[in-house]
Amino acid sequence: MCLDDQILNTYLDNELTEPWKDQVEEHLGYCQSCRIRYQKLLKISDAVKSSELTDAEIQPHKDRVLSMIEKNYLANGKGKKSFLRRTFRLSASQMIGVAAAFVVVFVGSWAVIGNRSSSGSSIILEDGTTTIGMDKITLTRYSDNSSTSKSLDEYTLDEIIKHLDARGYDVNISVKSIQPLLLDRFETGVTEIARIEKDDITITSDGLAKDAGGTIVASGVKLVDNAIVASDGTVLWTADETTVMESN
Amino acid sequence: MEIRSGDELAFRQVYDKVFPVVMKVAYHVTYNQDVAEDICQDAFIRFYDKDMSFPSMDDAKFWLIRVVKNLSINHVKRKMRESASLEKVMKGPQVNPFKDGASELILKESTAVVRKAVSELPEIYKTVIVLREYAGLNYKEIAEVLKISESNVKVRVHRARKELEATLDREEVDVP
Repeated sequence: MCLDDQILNTYLDNELTEPWKDQVEEHLGYCQSCRIRYQKLLKISDAVKSSELTDAEIQPHKDRVLSMIEKNYLANGKGKKSFLRRTFRLSASQMIGVAAAFVVVFVGSWAVIGNRSSSGSSIILEDGTTTIGMDKITLTRYSDNSSTSKSLDEYTLDEIIKHLDARGYDVNISVKSIQPLLLDRFETGVTEIARIEKDDITITSDGLAKDAGGTIVASGVKLVDNAIVASDGTVLWTADETTVMESN
Repeated sequence: MEIRSGDELAFRQVYDKVFPVVMKVAYHVTYNQDVAEDICQDAFIRFYDKDMSFPSMDDAKFWLIRVVKNLSINHVKRKMRESASLEKVMKGPQVNPFKDGASELILKESTAVVRKAVSELPEIYKTVIVLREYAGLNYKEIAEVLKISESNVKVRVHRARKELEATLDREEVDVP
């Protein structure tokens, strides 16, 4: 029995294991029609490979990108990025996202209690990213990529309030049934930038993805090329699944 | 050897080794060198900025390839939508990006035809061919990058070559 194209392609890519490899080689040794077919497939593969971008074409791009990264990120070869760059990554929207699960946050000039910056240790990693699931918060530290997941219930209200207070926020406690994010929209100018119709998800300009009930299902998301992309580059919803608001 | 993406020395080593690979991936998905450069730049900035830890150079490479592949596919999809809208308005002749300006002088006719044939493959086939032929990944590595099974990779490679054969036969390209 002769060999089909899939076996020949697998053999061509050196992905066939023994004893199949030996058997294919033996067959090709005496079957001319399979040998001709194999040579045709090899030619197609070679033609594709020979059309690849050459090293000479790549080099200018390689030099240009490295130069840009050296200038803006490697601090002229002096090493680490600045403190400001690191802390900027923890956006206000991410932090508000955590707080909004329990409390309503008002950032304003009224009812100022004061900034008691010395109080309490931070419950949210300074050097990391926060992912909010349905019932837990996952903290991932950039420095060693380690993750910890904690249920919201594992943070005491006191810890949350101390943390927010240390960051200069005035905090009002409210009951869960109140939808704090809707208030945030008026307070902070957060707008809806896209919708995922199939999952009934709303994407807002503060990087949050919320379901129909207003529960945050992802944070730190961005609209990239009309797709919804997580902070690590993973495409959460493709452009085909995403309806972008006209204002964007 | 553990790789810390935010460590300058490690970053430079990864950049030197992986940039040509991801540039090929980005280019052979988008077929636009300027766009491919922007995508690679974006990916390496994310790589450095996130200061992640990878068990090996290969793991770092796979992460970068995955990010570049996603960004490239998103770009192609957006361009297709834009050109579809533009076509409705203009109804003009389509420009062949593989036969314009300076590139025509540089490219051999057969190279241009093959690149065009690859660019016209459906996304799922194009991705495996690009990772196999241009990034030099084996089936197991492709499966890891695309998060699909190895047998699925095998089938896609086979179908991709079948489509390429049909296109190239139609174009009567003189394959070497």
